[in-house]
Amino acid sequence: MTATALPALELPPALASKGRIPGNKGIWVGICCEFVEFLVLFVVYFVARAHFPESFEAGAERLSRVAGTVITLLMVTSSFFIACSVATMRAGQRRRSIGWLIAGLVVALGYPVAKYLEISWNLAHGINGESGIFFTVYYYLTFNHLVHATWGILGMLWVLVRHLSGGYTVEDHDGLEALASYWHATDIIWLVIFPFFYVLA
Amino acid sequence: MKASDSTPTTSLLPLTTAWLALVALTLISLGLGQWFHGAPWLPLLVAAIVWIKGTLVAREFIESRLTHPFISRVLTGFIAFTPIALVLTAFFGGQFARWATL
Repeated sequence: MTATALPALELPPALASKGRIPGNKGIWVGICCEFVEFLVLFVVYFVARAHFPESFEAGAERLSRVAGTVITLLMVTSSFFIACSVATMRAGQRRRSIGWLIAGLVVALGYPVAKYLEISWNLAHGINGESGIFFTVYYYLTFNHLVHATWGILGMLWVLVRHLSGGYTVEDHDGLEALASYWHATDIIWLVIFPFFYVLA
Repeated sequence: MKASDSTPTTSLLPLTTAWLALVALTLISLGLGQWFHGAPWLPLLVAAIVWIKGTLVAREFIESRLTHPFISRVLTGFIAFTPIALVLTAFFGGQFARWATL
């Protein structure tokens, strides 16, 4: 779209040879911990699935695939908008960067709303945490992801306040990129969870 | 190596392309679950789609090809775990269940 009009951001040679740390080291410690936590939960999912294959095949049929798809589209779209916010900030387009960040936040807020509607739909159809092993695993994994997404949404609010007050420049926007990295990681985790409960049957 | 391969992007084109691909793969996944319910090869296809989607986000949004090798390896490992586990559980689920029984 704007590839020819925007200057490329050059890395210092020493940094380029070692590779970048998007954002800062602290956020990557957090992301690694997040990955380890969800890997443990994924192992629990696979152990449960291996023990109760029939429950898992039947369970996905009872969930709302529309809800799962809407959440997935909200996550990837919000992630895309946040990535655009970082790219435009690098290009020195601060106002556009703020615009993309606000768009990312608004779309991300659709996730808890969609999850609330999904849980209401579940309860109306008699699906709760005690409806069987599939639903127990479904609730703890998806609620856990919602908690992590909530941290990301709160982070977006904080970064937006910093951005609006001129806290980021072309040379230094590590906070914005740290938030983007966390949100992309949370997006990757949802992309794994989605087929667990809404596709595989 | 092109300059665009070694520097963080300021272009929205690769991001937009990745997003469109993610949306398309999500809608395809939705159809797969409905059209091929119970097909023995479904976990293979789902595993491939999970890996492609995760790799797209890591490569285009996080720009993992430019990151420190540790970050790149963490992303590669995390994204590969589920597709591998999906395939193993689909074809060796019984054996895995016996190993995982207390």
